[in-house]
This record gives sequence, structure tokens and C-alpha cells, in this order.
Amino acid sequence: MDKQFLKESVQQGAVAFKAGKMDRRAFLTLCAMAGVAVSAVARGDAHAAANQIILWNWGGSSEVCHGQYIAEPFTESTGIGVGFDTSGPLQGKIKAMVDSGSVTADVCDADAFDAIALGDSGHLEPIDYSVVDKAKVLDGFAWEYGVSIIFYGYAFMYDTEAYGDNPPNSWADFFNTAEFPGKRSLYKWANGSLEGALLADGVSKDALYPLDLDRAIAKVKTIKEDSLYWGSGSEAHSMIVNGEVSMGMVWQNRGKAIEDDTDGRYKLVMNEALAMPGAYIVPRGNPAGRDAVMKFIQTAQDPKAQLGLLDCLGMTPTNPTAFGMIPEGQKAYAITSAMNIDKVVYNDPVWWGANSEKAVNAFLEAIS
Amino acid sequence: MTLPDTGDLSIKNVTKTFGSTTAVDHVNLEVQRGEFLTLLGPSGSGKTTLLMMIAGFEDASSGDIALDGASILNVPAEKRNFGMVFQGYALFPHMTVRRNISYPLDVRKRPKSEIESRVEEMLALVQLEGFGDRLPKQLSGGQQQRVALARALCFAPPVLLLDEPLGALDKKLRIEVQAQLKAIHDRVGTTFLYVTHDQEEALSMSDRIVIMRDGKIEQVGTPNELYEKPRTVFAADFLGKSNFLERSEATYALRPEKIDVAPSGDLQCAVSVTGKIQTISYFGAVQKLMVMLDDGKCLEVDVDIWRNRNAFSVGQVVDLGWTDDAVTKLEG
Amino acid sequence: MILPFLAVIAGFYIYPIANVLWLSVVEPEPGLGNYAALFDTESLRRIILTTIRICVVTTFFSVLFGYTIAYAMVHMDQRKQNLMLALVLVSFWISILVRTFSWLMLLGHNGLLNNGLQAIGVINEPIAFVRNELGVLIGMIHYMIPYAVLPLLVNMRNLDMRVMRASQNLGATGTQTFLRVYLPMTIPGIVASTILVFILSLGFYVTPAILGGGKVLMIAEYISVQILITLKWGTAAMLATLMLFGVLGMLYVMSRFMKLSAVFGGGR
Repeated sequence: MDKQFLKESVQQGAVAFKAGKMDRRAFLTLCAMAGVAVSAVARGDAHAAANQIILWNWGGSSEVCHGQYIAEPFTESTGIGVGFDTSGPLQGKIKAMVDSGSVTADVCDADAFDAIALGDSGHLEPIDYSVVDKAKVLDGFAWEYGVSIIFYGYAFMYDTEAYGDNPPNSWADFFNTAEFPGKRSLYKWANGSLEGALLADGVSKDALYPLDLDRAIAKVKTIKEDSLYWGSGSEAHSMIVNGEVSMGMVWQNRGKAIEDDTDGRYKLVMNEALAMPGAYIVPRGNPAGRDAVMKFIQTAQDPKAQLGLLDCLGMTPTNPTAFGMIPEGQKAYAITSAMNIDKVVYNDPVWWGANSEKAVNAFLEAIS
Repeated sequence: MTLPDTGDLSIKNVTKTFGSTTAVDHVNLEVQRGEFLTLLGPSGSGKTTLLMMIAGFEDASSGDIALDGASILNVPAEKRNFGMVFQGYALFPHMTVRRNISYPLDVRKRPKSEIESRVEEMLALVQLEGFGDRLPKQLSGGQQQRVALARALCFAPPVLLLDEPLGALDKKLRIEVQAQLKAIHDRVGTTFLYVTHDQEEALSMSDRIVIMRDGKIEQVGTPNELYEKPRTVFAADFLGKSNFLERSEATYALRPEKIDVAPSGDLQCAVSVTGKIQTISYFGAVQKLMVMLDDGKCLEVDVDIWRNRNAFSVGQVVDLGWTDDAVTKLEG
Repeated sequence: MILPFLAVIAGFYIYPIANVLWLSVVEPEPGLGNYAALFDTESLRRIILTTIRICVVTTFFSVLFGYTIAYAMVHMDQRKQNLMLALVLVSFWISILVRTFSWLMLLGHNGLLNNGLQAIGVINEPIAFVRNELGVLIGMIHYMIPYAVLPLLVNMRNLDMRVMRASQNLGATGTQTFLRVYLPMTIPGIVASTILVFILSLGFYVTPAILGGGKVLMIAEYISVQILITLKWGTAAMLATLMLFGVLGMLYVMSRFMKLSAVFGGGR
């Protein structure tokens, strides 16, 4: 059966149904059959396209940016096309896809802790380091089941009009509502929020992991009355731009846009920013096969590609060669620029990979 | 039956217009206490609009309506105290028969004991003892109609308005209920103002009938007056069947049963013509002959079947005759 | 003709539901551990209670406002009624995200209302209308009102208005007619609205997540977190099962009081 045929028979059915020639049950049956078959055909189409890489990312401008800076050079050098699934590769979705046996994505723009957690549970293909180059990644950010292409980070912004000559400069200030009164916003799914709380509570950068969950939660609760929690970048953005908070945690790559949107009233603080390694991971049994997808990841390691993503998405390079090439205007906001690289604190994906369930639920319980 | 001390309804020069159409046109009518008066007319004749103005659901455009001499135009519907039986009964579907009937007393916050005894009285009046705890949907159409009647009479209204209350019943039941309705009217003595388009209903129950046409009253009178002495073609035609004869610039009505008929040459009458039977329709007690006269006009004649068994057949030539007092001269 | 239809139902409804039931007793390990967690995890109970509280309040006000709107609509002339109906239906087309963010713009810290009230000097500090439970309720009630209106509108339109006239004729005041006749006759509509709104409310999470400022956690959002982020599928399945049986239980209790087919406009 072909799609057009089914579509037409449903339309005819609708006419007959309206005219009273077909009873309701028969019409519904026809619709249901057509619906099933159409979706089955659509799925078949997706499988059929073999000679392309499907990149599973978070949509928005990332489709354009990934397309321009990774997909285009990749297609140019290999002849393999690139398609996008922009629905967001959350851990649960990747797991469900692999478990169901119908894997439709080749590479996911995921978090490093996803690489650890899903790698351990057997849902990922290992990275082939004969193709992907470990030397093109900052030391410690290439794992068996994922490799970091970009860093992003959790930093906070503050209202310059509220704090005047004595601006906050650390998580300790962020959590100090006595000296720095005003509302705060934090990330809802615990990540970064817990680290910020521990740093504020006096834990040193080097002794952060394993996280002392109870201590972090206790600290988070101390400012609960003054806190809002956001679940998406745009929400974090609007909480600040609308003046709902005096200090707001953000994804650092939004910093510049928010400073512009508020005419410089809100300023980004990169001191103690929590650097999050992103990771490219490959679902087990990816349709395009291992060689093609590894070449794709290799392309993404190129400094040119990474600097493109920095310009386009504000994502910071992980390839040390690119660090020195970060343009002037981006230096203040980039994790790995010379002015910030010694101030940031690196997230430990291994701890998060093993403990995120406990951490997220404990955090949710504390804030709700 | 003693005459009640209230229930005189005066309708004075009442007009009702909807936009550019005039539904009721300068109607004057005196309804006497205790009377069973029927407004009879085809749809669009203004009878229902008139009833709705009396009930207070429509405002009169001009004129006055008075009860026992006092104008009620400014009295809202819920304060007029007129009982009403609606087309389709309009029973409260979520209430039992008992609660339906007690409703007008409930909303008037009468004492409980009074309500209970009154409801029993009403159930007895409409012969629905034992049905008090049923829901309306558990009753037949005729029973529902009686509940509606009991509900409307429960608070002893001075006037009862009935808007085509038998329209939903089948013919046999309708005739039965007509008799019951008339009997109840005689027992309670309330003024009944009855709206219908069914002439048989009007004839069988009414003390007086008002024939309405295009918002105006065509003729008022007792059933017998109207039947025997219709004033217009419309009245003669709407109430009963009639032949119309043109004689020297005037029109006369002649009821089909007032025509004598006999095989050709047998008839001795004041007026007599010959004609040929075109059709015979059988109605059990009577048969209707359609007789074409020599001048090409047709007359309808009712013939008692038993007394004329096997006397007539289609194509037969017959003599028709009637007496002078059988014809009525009509106006206009 | 009915056989393929049954197969479709089995494939698309029964199989996934059975799967959820199964997951709730085998993930992460076989047994009733996920259900036991209900009794010894205070946070789960709190989330459930929050959800029920918000859904009950949302349902109450949505049906109340929906009733008022539907009542006003059936008493308008046909042209105005069509206009109102169009407005109600159009609101189905506006995405929930747009509506949610619109509330932030209207009622937020720097929103139209707070700025306006501050400008005319009624208040000095912005009032916290949103980013709390009040905000969640405002957003949800607003979203649910059209869903509450439709069943009530159908119910009210089908009422025999002669019955109201009869009540008036029999001496009842407007209030008496409404309370004794109109309201009881619209109970099927009220029940249908209530069930519809309550069930839809249970599944809400975009609005609570945003207008609640992250502090109002309802079951639906919690389930999605457990599936997508923390991968505790067993807990998620257990909560989903709980919701399913909660809804079925509700329908059962309702069905004891009235014919559900009457509520949902089926055969008489």
C-alpha cells in the first residue's frame, strides 16, 4: 500500500461518513489502519536512508551551527550527508531507543555523564581512538564511550544596580543573602547547583568530588525561600532579563546575550564557573556504522569547527590548539580562554554518571 | 359546581409586534370565571403569543390585560399565579412526581403538612395515586400530562393556561384525556384557557371557542353556535367540514351531513340538484361521497352507512337536496 | 470490520499499558519495591498530595468559571454565541508555552500588572503572582477553562427551556429556578467537565514547571524526570500505574452515581 492511496481512501471515507453512507465504526477503523500504515511507511523511509549520519541534538540554532561548522566540512571530505534529529538526546530517550532495537541516530550531542552512565549500562559504541584523536582533547576529557567536543558551564550573573561597589564574585557571595539580598535562580536538575552550594560552604575546588550530597542540599535549602529554579536556558534568561532575580545562575554561553539584553545591567561572573564537558556519544548499533560516525566526530575535533561553534553557539573548544585562537570578544565568556581557564572548576562526569539519580531526586525533594 | 370568586380575565385591545410582523392584532376578549375557553387557530394565528402574554413570558406591545379588574401587565410571570400546562409538559426530569407537583408550594415555602396533603389530593384528582415516587421518564405520555396538570393546579391558580397539552398523545388516548380534562375542569371550577389547533379538541371540551386568524379574532361563540352559524368562510372551513355555495352574490356554508341524498328521482326536497358520484371514501360510521353536479361543481356529502347500505356506487347518478335552514349565509 | 480495529486497540493501548504495569513490578528488581516506596518516601507522598491539591483547586475554579461562561453563552443571541464559541476554540490553538509565558509578562515581577500597580502607587513592592503555586493555579485554570466550557455548553444547549419557564410560571424566583431546576439539570455537564479537567490537570507539567518557579513539582513532571534524566523507570511506571488506577477509580465512583454514557453524551 502506498501513502497517497491511503490518504485518499481516508478522504473518501470521510466524505462517505458525512453523507451517512459509512457507519462511524467502519470509518474509524479505516482511519486507524491508515494511521498505522502511514507511520510504518514513514519509519521505513528513515531506515532506508543509509548513506548519512543522523546527529541528535537540541534543536534551535544548534541545527544551523552544527550544519555549518561540522556537517558541511564532513560532507565535503567524505561525501556522506548529515541529517538532524532535534528532539534532545536525553539519557532516557537514548536508553529507550537502544532497548527498542530501532536505533535512528548515529551520534548524540550529549553530556559527559551520559557517556559514563550509558557506557556502563552497555547502550553505547566505544570511541575508536585510531580515528578520533585523544591529543585534540583537553587531558582527561576523552573516555571509552564518549569524547568531549565542547565545554559549557554554569556561572552566575548579578544585577550591577543592586550591588554597586561591592559586587559578588563567588558562589559564597551567591549563597550569602544577608550581605547580598535579593532573589536567586538555580538550575532545577541539580547539576552545577550542588557544586556551587559546596564551594559556597567552604569546600575547596580540589576536594569537591565525591560530592557531599547532604551538605550541598542543606546549603541549597538555606536560600530556598529566595530561590527560583529553571529547567531551560530560555527560562534562566527570562528570569534575569525580566528582573525576577538579583543573581541568577545561567549557562555561561548565554552571558553575553543577557548582558546585551539588559544593556549591561547584569554582569556575568566567570570565577568558579562550573565547566561541563559535553560529549559526543554513539548509540549502540547506530545505523550508519562505526567508521562513518567516527570520522564525523573527528571532523568535530577540528579547531576551525570548534571555533565556529564558539562563535555560533557560545560553546567553548576542548581542543587545546583552539584555546589560543579564541577571538577577543569571546574571551571573557569562554571556559577555556586564557583569562578563565584557571578560574573554572571542572565537573566530574564519572561521579555524575554514577550518582545523578540520587542527586537529582534529592535536589528535587529539597526544592519542591 | 359553584362559581369561583376569581378568574375573570380581560384582554383589552392587546397588540404584539415582533419587528415588522404583527402576531396579535388589537384583540379584545373577556374570559369569564370558571369558563373553559379555547383559542383555536392554525399555527401563526397568534393564539400561543396571546397565551404567552397572559402568562407573562411576553410583553404586550400595547393594550392591557386584567385579572378580576386589576391590570397585571406589570406583574412578573412568577407572581401572576397562573398555572400552566406546557406543550411537551415541561416536567422537571430530576424530580419525582410528588416533588414536581409540590414544586409551586415548595417555592412558596408553605408548611410541610399542607404540602403533603395537597399533593395527595392532586394525585387523587388526576388518578395517579401510587405514582408519587416515580420519575417522569417512568411514566407514559398520558400520565406525564396528568402530572403536568396536577402541578399546575396544585397551588389553586385563578386561571389555568394550557398550551396544546395533548399534542404529543396518540389519537385514541387524546380522546380519553379530553374527557378527563373536562371532568377535572368541572370539579375544580378554575378558569381554563386552552390553546389548540385541533378542532375536535375544541368542540368536545370548550364552553366557548375563540377562532383566531392572522392575529385577530375571527369569531367567538359556543361550539354549537360556531358550528351551526359560522360567520365566515374561514370559520366554517376551520371548524368542521363545509361545502360553499355561491347564490346571488353571496356565499353560503352547507355542512356535508346536512345534505340528503337518494338514487335519482327518489328525493323530495326544497332544494334539489342531480349529480354523479365521483368517489366514495369509507369512514366506518359514515361514508363520504364526492358528487359532481351538472354545472361541474363538487359537493361533499356524508352518508350514514347503516341506513343506506349498498345504496350507492361510483358513477351512479343521484339526487341531492337540503332544507333552507341547513345553509348559513356567510359574511364577505 | 471490527477485528482489525480491536487489533489496533490492543496494539496501541493495551500493550503499552501492560508494559507500564510490568515495568512497575520488575524495575529495577522484581517485587513491589516501587510501591513500598510510596509508604516510606515522604517526598513521593508530598508530590502526590501537591498534585491532587493543585488538580482539585484547578478543577473547581475551571468548572466554576466554565459554568459561568457557558451559561452566559447560551443566553446570548446566536451571533454573539458563535463569536464566543470561536474565541473559546481559538484558545485551543495557542500553544501552552505561549500562554504560560504570556502570564509571566502580565503578572511577573516586572509584568504589566505589577508595573501598573506600582506606577499608580497602589503597591511599593511587586506582588508575587507567579513563580509559586498561585501562578501555577492561574496558568492551569486559564488553560483548562475552555475544556470545562465545552461539555457544559453541550449540556446547557440541550436543555428544554420550557422547563425553566414552567418553574417561573409555578412561582419560582430566578434564584429558585436556577438552584432547584437549572443546576440539577446541568449536573451531567458539570460531572463531565470535572472529570475532563481533572484528568487533563493530572497530566500537566509545562505550566507548573514554569509558573511554579521550579518549586511546584507535580507527578507528571516527576515521572518525566524519572524516565528521561534519572532513568528510574520503575518509579515512573509505578506512578503512572497509580495515576491510571486513580483515574479509573474516579470513573468507577462516578459511574455508581450516574450513567457515564449520559455524562459523555452517549445513548440515552
